[in-house]
Amino acid sequence: MKAEQIVEAVLFASDAPLRPDEIARADESLDEDVVEAAVAALRRYYLESERAFDLVELAGGWQILTRPEYASYLDRIDTIPRPSRLSGPALETLAIIAYRQPIGRVEVEYVRGVGSSGVIRTLQDRGLVEVTGRAETLGRPLLYGTTTHFLEHFGFDSLEDLPRPDELPVVLRDREVPILPEEADDEAGGQEELSLEDPE
Amino acid sequence: MEPRERGPGMGDAMEGTDLLQVELDRFTGPMDLLLHLIRQQDIDVFDIPIRRITDQFLTATEWIRAANLDTAGEFLEMAATLIGIKARMLLPRPEAEEDEDPRAELVRRLLEYEQIREVAHRLERAEADRARRRTKGWVEERPGPRPEDVPLETTWEEVFKAALGVELVEPVDRHHRVTPRTVSMDRKVTLILERLSDAPDGIAFRSLVTPFDDPMHGVMTLLAGLELGRRREIRLRQSAPFQELWMYLRPGERESS
Repeated sequence: MKAEQIVEAVLFASDAPLRPDEIARADESLDEDVVEAAVAALRRYYLESERAFDLVELAGGWQILTRPEYASYLDRIDTIPRPSRLSGPALETLAIIAYRQPIGRVEVEYVRGVGSSGVIRTLQDRGLVEVTGRAETLGRPLLYGTTTHFLEHFGFDSLEDLPRPDELPVVLRDREVPILPEEADDEAGGQEELSLEDPE
Repeated sequence: MEPRERGPGMGDAMEGTDLLQVELDRFTGPMDLLLHLIRQQDIDVFDIPIRRITDQFLTATEWIRAANLDTAGEFLEMAATLIGIKARMLLPRPEAEEDEDPRAELVRRLLEYEQIREVAHRLERAEADRARRRTKGWVEERPGPRPEDVPLETTWEEVFKAALGVELVEPVDRHHRVTPRTVSMDRKVTLILERLSDAPDGIAFRSLVTPFDDPMHGVMTLLAGLELGRRREIRLRQSAPFQELWMYLRPGERESS
């Protein structure tokens, strides 16, 4: 049995991304390097033979996914599940939690300006967010963070794939009509790391 | 823009309220509305004309006090914050302390919120891209723990019912007690062998138990069957777990099953 076929069989049958070390457990002839080589070979083969699917790096692992250009065909078949989409408030809340994790509900609400317990609950139910601990502050509130499923849902390999705060175009700040030059500079300098810091 | 989907039956007053509702439903909260006001008028965020913005904010949210109670508190809280800043702006502040600008915290929040909105948009796009790629089949719920990992919790009644196929009779009030005759395994061994001697096609376990309608007979028949199997006098067969148990006489010796 060739390593490539074992890896292919394992990835074909799995319904979640698998890390190379997880795939390697399938056979003693496999280790992480062999798996990585097999994955690379399979991807070359799929490309050359024009398969409708590919191996995709997702949430730190590999998964077989169809190529995006076939989405419209799949949408016409009832037995193929449609991926669910999140609401605006859910995306907003998730964005805050993703950048500021671990973060408590009150801090999320301060950024959004609206009560968010219901949205957080929904995100928890959908496995996108989980309780990661408790803050040491008064009342020891729960702290939330994103899950592996969050990465899968958005097609990220890791949290590093999230856009970096300094890459984001921030229209308000870049408007550049500062009244007090020093003050504006201070603000601009302080905003760089803003979304990774504590609000207080 | 036009809330026409409600149909023509609605009164004019109702429609007016709906229009406002639709307008404000576009905003996820007070931060969103504030951001909108500032962007729309191309206001310099580092020098927000707080009086104007406060007035506009109050006008935009006026209807909320009557209409939507759910989010009213949040919009009103922001209104209070704005009024507070406005009031502090009127007070003379010492020139030396530059960072004492009453608007500073609001500015910080606005910038952060704008950034979060941008991230949310990016997430939305990432989600849409990801949704165009599908797995080979998607299992909504992961399988539960394997049966062997679950501690076995069962009652004798369940064992009788499931394994022995005996319906339990409700215990009835008896005026006198009769000591039940003990059921011996030897008698069941004899019974099985007798019945098997003129049943070359085997017999179903159930047919040995049903006439007695008693759990103890079921248990002893099963034990007798197992014993005969151990002695290699009969063969026991079951097509699948929880299916009927069949017994066959072993014709010769060493016939592998």
